[in-house]
Amino acid sequence: MKIVLAAVVCILSMTAFSQDFTISGSVKDSTNGEDLYGAQIKVKELENVGALTNAYGFYSLTLPKGNYTLIFRASGFDSKEVAIELNEDITLDLELSVPKDIQEIGPVVVNAEKENENITSSEMNVTKFTPKDISTIPVLFGEQDIMKTLQLTPGVKGAGEGNAGFYVRGGGADQNLILLDEAPVYNASHLLGFFSVFNSDALKDVSLYKSGIPAEYGGRASSVMDVKMRDGNMKKFGASGGIGLISSRLTLEAPIVKDKGSFIISGRRSYADVFLKLSPNENQRNTKLFFYDLNMKANYKFGEKDRVYLSGYFGRDRFGFSDIFGFNWGNATGTVRWNHLYGSKLFSNTSLVYSNFDYEFSVGGSEDGFGVKSSIQDFNLKQDYSFYANKNNTIKFGIQAIHHTFRPGALTGGNESFNEITLDPRYALEVGAYIQNEQKIGTRFNIMYGLRYSGFNLMGDGKAYEFDEDGNLTDEREYGSWESIKYHQGLEPRISASYIISESNSIKASYNRNFQYIHQLSNSTTSSPTDVWVPSSNNIKPQIADQVALGYYHNLNKNMYRISTEVYYKDLQNQIDYRNGAQTILNNLVEGELVFGDGRAYGLEFQVEKKKGKFTGWFSYTLSRSLRTFADIDNGKEFPARQDRIHDLSIVLMYKLNDAIALSASWVYYTGDAVTFPSGKYEVGGVTVPFYTERNGYRFPNYHRMDLGCTWYFKEREKFEHNMNFSIYNAYARENAFTITFQENEDTGNTEAVQTTLFRLIPAITYNFNLK
Amino acid sequence: MRNLAYILGFVLLATSCQKVIDVDLNEGNQNIVIEGNFTGEDSTVLVRVTLTSSYFNSDPSPTIDNAVVTITDQNGVATVIPSIGNGFYKLTSYAPTYGTSYVLSVVSDGQTYNATCNMPVPVQLDPITYQYFDGFFGNDPGYATFLNFQDPPNEVNFYQIVITENQKTFGNLDQIQTQDDELTNGNYVQRPIFTGDLSQIGDTVSYEFRSVDEVIYNYTSQASDIAGGSNSAAPGNPITNWDNGALGYFNAYGVSRDTVIIQ
Repeated sequence: MKIVLAAVVCILSMTAFSQDFTISGSVKDSTNGEDLYGAQIKVKELENVGALTNAYGFYSLTLPKGNYTLIFRASGFDSKEVAIELNEDITLDLELSVPKDIQEIGPVVVNAEKENENITSSEMNVTKFTPKDISTIPVLFGEQDIMKTLQLTPGVKGAGEGNAGFYVRGGGADQNLILLDEAPVYNASHLLGFFSVFNSDALKDVSLYKSGIPAEYGGRASSVMDVKMRDGNMKKFGASGGIGLISSRLTLEAPIVKDKGSFIISGRRSYADVFLKLSPNENQRNTKLFFYDLNMKANYKFGEKDRVYLSGYFGRDRFGFSDIFGFNWGNATGTVRWNHLYGSKLFSNTSLVYSNFDYEFSVGGSEDGFGVKSSIQDFNLKQDYSFYANKNNTIKFGIQAIHHTFRPGALTGGNESFNEITLDPRYALEVGAYIQNEQKIGTRFNIMYGLRYSGFNLMGDGKAYEFDEDGNLTDEREYGSWESIKYHQGLEPRISASYIISESNSIKASYNRNFQYIHQLSNSTTSSPTDVWVPSSNNIKPQIADQVALGYYHNLNKNMYRISTEVYYKDLQNQIDYRNGAQTILNNLVEGELVFGDGRAYGLEFQVEKKKGKFTGWFSYTLSRSLRTFADIDNGKEFPARQDRIHDLSIVLMYKLNDAIALSASWVYYTGDAVTFPSGKYEVGGVTVPFYTERNGYRFPNYHRMDLGCTWYFKEREKFEHNMNFSIYNAYARENAFTITFQENEDTGNTEAVQTTLFRLIPAITYNFNLK
Repeated sequence: MRNLAYILGFVLLATSCQKVIDVDLNEGNQNIVIEGNFTGEDSTVLVRVTLTSSYFNSDPSPTIDNAVVTITDQNGVATVIPSIGNGFYKLTSYAPTYGTSYVLSVVSDGQTYNATCNMPVPVQLDPITYQYFDGFFGNDPGYATFLNFQDPPNEVNFYQIVITENQKTFGNLDQIQTQDDELTNGNYVQRPIFTGDLSQIGDTVSYEFRSVDEVIYNYTSQASDIAGGSNSAAPGNPITNWDNGALGYFNAYGVSRDTVIIQ
């Protein structure tokens, strides 16, 4: 740590003696005043010199005294050239405008990235999307979903129908850090995974890091999905929305003070249950089934150097059946952020983040029913600095502290013979500190290296339990408030480098180590809101992932086609699984039900993408394995993880027929999930019981599906644009397996394998509008 | 949870469907299965020794009649249980000592298998009561019977409840009701027991209330979960008191009974 600090001081002092001056400022969208994230500032006279705007639209570039031409570029916008005479520090705020020809037509796919940023950036394996990118891709129920679209890119695999989770490069669904304006989202699904919690109307962009994860992110082993909400229109009032068969949404935005502050509020509500009211069946009429969510954000500039953001998300699912059964769950997050600029080179962001996820279900009426509740709650304080030291070095450093409260479950009952039970809450403090430098060496070599320290302190008050090898309780001890039960810590080196062979060719390599201190225990093969989060403890060690990755990137035909080939190898330590027949709900001793092992995952990812023209889209293929070894499972034999999908293929095609109509199609194919099936059966206690011999020794049938979409853009007026989206999910009605169960045929007495399919062909229609 | 997703699927769209598919299973080697019951009430030990069979095969399980089966009490006194054919071994007039452990041993094909089970002192069942319910879940209205007993305060207890309604016994592993005292230790427990349809006036309902070892309580729920097509993330063979890889269980238990006629 000392050496790193010395290096910082050294770079600081070097800059003080040179003849350098700084140009800094912000880049915005001229139509609504939204900050542009990742806009590129290039110096025409110098090769491989430039800057990118950060998440708040800020850039800073330090150059020797002289005359320069700066080119400001962002995809989907006209670039601008500005000549400057640099003999003092300059502030230069700029707005980029959308080209006229793009404004006039609806169906244009704009990409968040610059034309060859995939070649020149040292950030490896980051996949970026904006809601606009995905607006024509067909999806389930016609509802745009950024998470579902990410699952069509290489290395990212959806957990299957009825699951909101996703797997990145062979990691588990709980190994993805999902951030919404810096707040962790613990359960990103609505309606048990048929929708994600992200309402595209409220989003600015999404970045997914699969490897080479920057040091500023920590806490999960596999990936980071960083979702940023829009800031709201700084120029004028706007309204947009959509009306669909299953849900509708509305977004309102307006300046608070023009060009100084703005707000956005976006809501969504599904109403599948409204149609149930029309049902002749009384049970269906009494069924409650909906979700709603609300995104809110406001920001205000106090002077030139300070800006404050408030953002929040609140969403809830409710499912109920008369007063017999009720089930609801949801996330709530809140973020307060303060940007401050010290001089022209040091950008500071301070965030205070709150996040809560809880679920509750109740059975029976108030008199003799009972209910179960569980939650995880975080308070998170984060301080991040970006120091734009000179034209070759950008240093980021910061600290973070998260206070976690886990409430694994409580049973409350109306019936007298039940003792109410509350599992001990658990408290933990997770801390992190990092420093990272992004350095340009010469004109072709970029390197990003950093180090993150993370620590996790499980604290009282509460009990800690000790177990023997078979999971039997041997000892327990009571701890006082804030008394440390167990402290885990680790150093996480992160490094990624790129070498630009030519304007259209580059290679990139990365290594990263990630620690994960909190773990999700899933009690069934489908992910559900009742999956419990548990902290690392005296029994559970943190999960550790080490990953190396190498990629080759090639652009063809003036960046018309992008080809990327990446290979990776990932080593996983301290993975968690259940003992056979584990009892996971309302069990204080759940740690005794767990077994620990190691894993590895490796793969090859290939993608060809066409970025420009009437016809766009991509083809991606992943060849990969994900394997686990547990001493307590199958006598230590290596077995495939559930998400071990050997072949995974996606094709996405979008075609702009004319100014009014855009067509799209996507097709996915993957090897069926690994699953445990019986290898025999026997009779015991009057029932037939399956006999299991190996974990995940069998496969589901291979999955494939085609979706089709068509968006019809109505003639646009000056202040109003609208379109109609038609989509067909699973167009050839492939019956993909959701579950396979074995049961006795009542007529023949033979045992049969019965496959359940959730969705065959589903058409949908959605009307979208935008009042400008 | 899977059921919830099914309901969603059905309710939302009515497009979900089920079909029978072909699954190619590697038929594992045949494994020994031993089911042993020592019923304190009638001083009888009944053991059945069989083998696992091919999963899709509907033939009866292969039986073993040439095993040597013995039961050993806490004093180390071993008694041979004679074969009576069709895989069964039966010992009668074997008086129980409640609160002690028994070891059941099977020697077959050169392998020895042992299971130890504690035989708890039976807890007294109080008279069954019943109460009228309006129908729910689409069922007709009727009477639900209630289990009533005083749970002993200073010990951990596990129970199996076998219900007989008008000569129909719900005695299979997946029909047996279970009860522990984790939430009810030392309480007077009153709990409705449902067997499907509610009872009507004139029905006769009997409870066989067994006090069992913890391993049997766990085995009952695990085995019935697996037999019912478990959706567990880690489906495995239920944890048994048998060693050496044998499947099945050994249950030594005491019983308390009551019968009620709904009127």
